[in-house]
Amino acid sequence: MSIVELRNVTYQYPFSERPALEGIDLRIDEGEFVAVIGPNGAGKSSLCYTVSGFIPHFFKGELQGSVVVGGVETRQSTLAECVRRAGLAFQNPFNQISGAKYTVFEEIAFGLENLGVPREEMRARVERMLERAGIADLAGRSPYALSGGQQQRVALASILVMEPQVLVLDEPTSQMDPIGTREVFGMIKELAGRGLTVLMVEHKVEWVAAFADRVVALDGGHVIAQGRPEEVLTDPLLAERNFGLSRYTLAARAALQAGLWPAGRRLPVTLEEAVEGFKAAAA
Amino acid sequence: MPEKLSFYIQRSSAFHSLNPLTKLGLVFAFIVIAYTSPFYWTATVIFGLGVLPLAFVGRVQREFLLAALRLLVPVTGFIFIMQSLFLPGGERELFHFWVFRVTVESVAQAYLTVSRIFVMISAFILFLLTTHPSALMTDLTRRGLPGTFAYVIISTLQIIPQMQSKAQTIIAAQRSRGMETGGSLANRVRALVPLVGPLVFGSLVEVEERAIAIEARGFTSRLKKTSLYEIADTRLDRGLRWFLLGLVVLSVAARVLAG
Repeated sequence: MSIVELRNVTYQYPFSERPALEGIDLRIDEGEFVAVIGPNGAGKSSLCYTVSGFIPHFFKGELQGSVVVGGVETRQSTLAECVRRAGLAFQNPFNQISGAKYTVFEEIAFGLENLGVPREEMRARVERMLERAGIADLAGRSPYALSGGQQQRVALASILVMEPQVLVLDEPTSQMDPIGTREVFGMIKELAGRGLTVLMVEHKVEWVAAFADRVVALDGGHVIAQGRPEEVLTDPLLAERNFGLSRYTLAARAALQAGLWPAGRRLPVTLEEAVEGFKAAAA
Repeated sequence: MPEKLSFYIQRSSAFHSLNPLTKLGLVFAFIVIAYTSPFYWTATVIFGLGVLPLAFVGRVQREFLLAALRLLVPVTGFIFIMQSLFLPGGERELFHFWVFRVTVESVAQAYLTVSRIFVMISAFILFLLTTHPSALMTDLTRRGLPGTFAYVIISTLQIIPQMQSKAQTIIAAQRSRGMETGGSLANRVRALVPLVGPLVFGSLVEVEERAIAIEARGFTSRLKKTSLYEIADTRLDRGLRWFLLGLVVLSVAARVLAG
């Protein structure tokens, strides 16, 4: 059963020349992990905002087509109801801190306070979330005194504690260093393993290849390719359109053009696949 | 980056455990009485027998006295000297030098002004030292203060240190490109101009993201909000607040009757 269903969705920001999304059809099944890739201005963030209800509730402009999340048309409910169904986390961890709370524990509880969750239940849920996110040791710290990776995990925990049906992530690691990236992906992997439905925009294709059930390639507001990660991420069409493919794919592609890659072998996405391929070529 | 973003000092004391509204009420009662009471020594008595002992009860005497020393003494000292020297009128001359004539009346008036200011500021210092800002806001929100208002207050308190550190980053970036930020006063003022642009506009851009982040946490939900902490409001608190209100009324009435 699909939990997110976009039908012929077109959206244009106010004062902009062309639509950010144009004729998008997208279905996400329960428990599925869908990654979205695309160059700048492809409409990736707009897609995140549409699924989580910020379009049309926060950003004005014109939304056409139908967006159904958890069985409800986003247009028909309030923004607060939308974000309960599809929680959103984005790039800058610093700006996701509410600024209203003094400790990580309070920060994570903030969403539950807004939803009117009773105190006992709130405490239990925050404690469980801290454990699951692996940040129980940060509970008493100020959210401002953390590293980027820690802040981003707090931001994710703050959304997840509200128990959304879908988690929408807009480039959650784009401002992280390698350590922060590993921390955040470690947490996402843990969550995905528990069957959470995830829609994630991500540039780091090696990570995408490791996690995603399906990859959707956006360009100019259109879906130009979708399918299994190993198929989409090695699609020659994407390389021509300036998608940031993995360096292994690019190396193998150069090798292919020089006649050094085994004919008929699919291009690699990860290091392991590249090693296999080059071994086969050398043999 | 500093972890501490408020004046609050966490100690356990009878004064700390009062309801935030009671403490706020106490501050305002002290101030109103200090300014309205027709008796000359009221403000002095409030400070000596009210604010100061309470700082000890709240076990923040060291921080309280330090803050008072750094902030209050210079300000009130200056006011005291200026008023003593320049207040016109006065019959009984204490001494005079050059063009100044200091009278008993001007000194008395200066002391009254200073003692009132002392009560006002020191009471607020005591309040800030013993009340966590989010406890105050949680309590006031529960009493019907709009959540957005509470949010604006708390986030402003939190954002000041963030703005400071961002300003430091911008200054460092501009110095690394050869801009002079030290030296003469004119130089320093000139150095402010390229700081304000990035700081202000950068913050405005962040406002949208922050708004999204808060909305994503259900901030505008129409459900009745709950709070993580229970803020105690005991019978003692309610009794104290009525008592303070009574004192304020008495003081105002005494002022009106005294003319």
